[in-house]
Amino acid sequence: MARRTRKYSEDVPFSLTSMMDMMTIILVFMIKNLDAEGQLLTQAENLILPISTSKIQPTEVSLTVVVDKAYIIVDNEKVVATDDVLAQEDLLVEKVNEVLKDRRAIEQEHALKMGLPADEAGHIIVQIDKNIPYDAMYKVMATCGYAGYTNIAFAVMEKNGGEE
Amino acid sequence: MAKEVKKPAKPDEPDLLPAMGLFTILIPMLLSMTAFSKLAIVEVNLPERSMMQMDNETPPEPDEQALNLSLAVTSDYLVIGARGGFQPNVYFKEMWTFRCKSDAKLITHSPDDVKKAVESGHGPKCKDGSEMDKEKYLYEIESIELWAINKESEEDPGKVIWALYSNGGSAEEPIADSAYVDGNNNFIALPGEGAYGLTPPPSLKKPGPGVALATLTPNSARTLKPDVANKNIIYPLSAYDLIAKDLIAIHTQFIDLEDVDNIIIVANDDTQFDKIIQMMDRAKDAGFTKINLAKLGG
Repeated sequence: MARRTRKYSEDVPFSLTSMMDMMTIILVFMIKNLDAEGQLLTQAENLILPISTSKIQPTEVSLTVVVDKAYIIVDNEKVVATDDVLAQEDLLVEKVNEVLKDRRAIEQEHALKMGLPADEAGHIIVQIDKNIPYDAMYKVMATCGYAGYTNIAFAVMEKNGGEE
Repeated sequence: MAKEVKKPAKPDEPDLLPAMGLFTILIPMLLSMTAFSKLAIVEVNLPERSMMQMDNETPPEPDEQALNLSLAVTSDYLVIGARGGFQPNVYFKEMWTFRCKSDAKLITHSPDDVKKAVESGHGPKCKDGSEMDKEKYLYEIESIELWAINKESEEDPGKVIWALYSNGGSAEEPIADSAYVDGNNNFIALPGEGAYGLTPPPSLKKPGPGVALATLTPNSARTLKPDVANKNIIYPLSAYDLIAKDLIAIHTQFIDLEDVDNIIIVANDDTQFDKIIQMMDRAKDAGFTKINLAKLGG
């Protein structure tokens, strides 16, 4: 016996109500997580930042140094291997110092052209993987200070994603 | 003649297509502006080169009235020092928490257990019996916990101290959030039982609804509501919380001193960066705004 197929009427309306419910939920969720101010700081790849209770946001775009398990990266440029920094005795990381000094000189030149004081302490943001040993962090920090970047800030993840 | 009852007409559905169109435009726009994890900064100031001490200059006389507060982080304990003296060591047992990719559940192991497993060719074990990648596990640590331990002597392995915590997670996956203190500002805590005190003490009970408790946060005294009281957990007391309590007490006691807002965090070379940030957070919360960093023995 031939199998009978059910015929559907052609004028079944397409209900958008359930779709609207879903869209409304998504919209509310998006508005809740909306960051209207934008981010001056973006997380580097290949590292996990530590979680902190700090809610201080950077007020200006600063030079960024990244310390991950493999390299020390200044302004997206791999400068020296992290293992080499850990192995050295000296506090000053020479290769990083050279790059930072060049950057500082450019910053000072720009400041002079703009009529701003050029001898102000430089600002730098250091992004360090949470498992990096203190030794590497301390050497990078000392190098930043030596190159004239004495206003150092560490990048962290806000606790609970920044929610109250 | 019977009156014919008129059937109500089926109401017309509103035309939702324009609203759908609006939503379809709004959602991608908002998606591009949404921040699912926010970054912040923790500031630390170094002395400027012009202000640094030159070798040929005589060092300034030490200020005997200054607090000279320091916080040392070693591999076994945390200790607060001030005016040349030290408080009792806060010993801890370090524990690493990972989130397994296989079942998305948290696992906590001691570093020694993890290293032993890796040496024998295995990764940290998950709850579902699978193993984490033994090459990458070190960089997949989700949190480093320092469980405070109670020691009778230097040789004593000590017992883990258990305390009452608010639950920052869910009922299925509790996360210790804030430690509770009683009216005398003491943690509601007791040493554990069994080897290394890894079993929670049965005498440490969760207080029921209506009990007044506080956390280390100022003005946090509250009466426990039934839902909060049920959610609270007994969890190993964090050495960070013990230190935070002492730092708050010191900052309050010496509030009149000129260098009361200064603290130096001193750490070993192999101390993980996460521990430094946790200590800086506790110091900032206690009111220390000027944080300097130094090397232990360096």
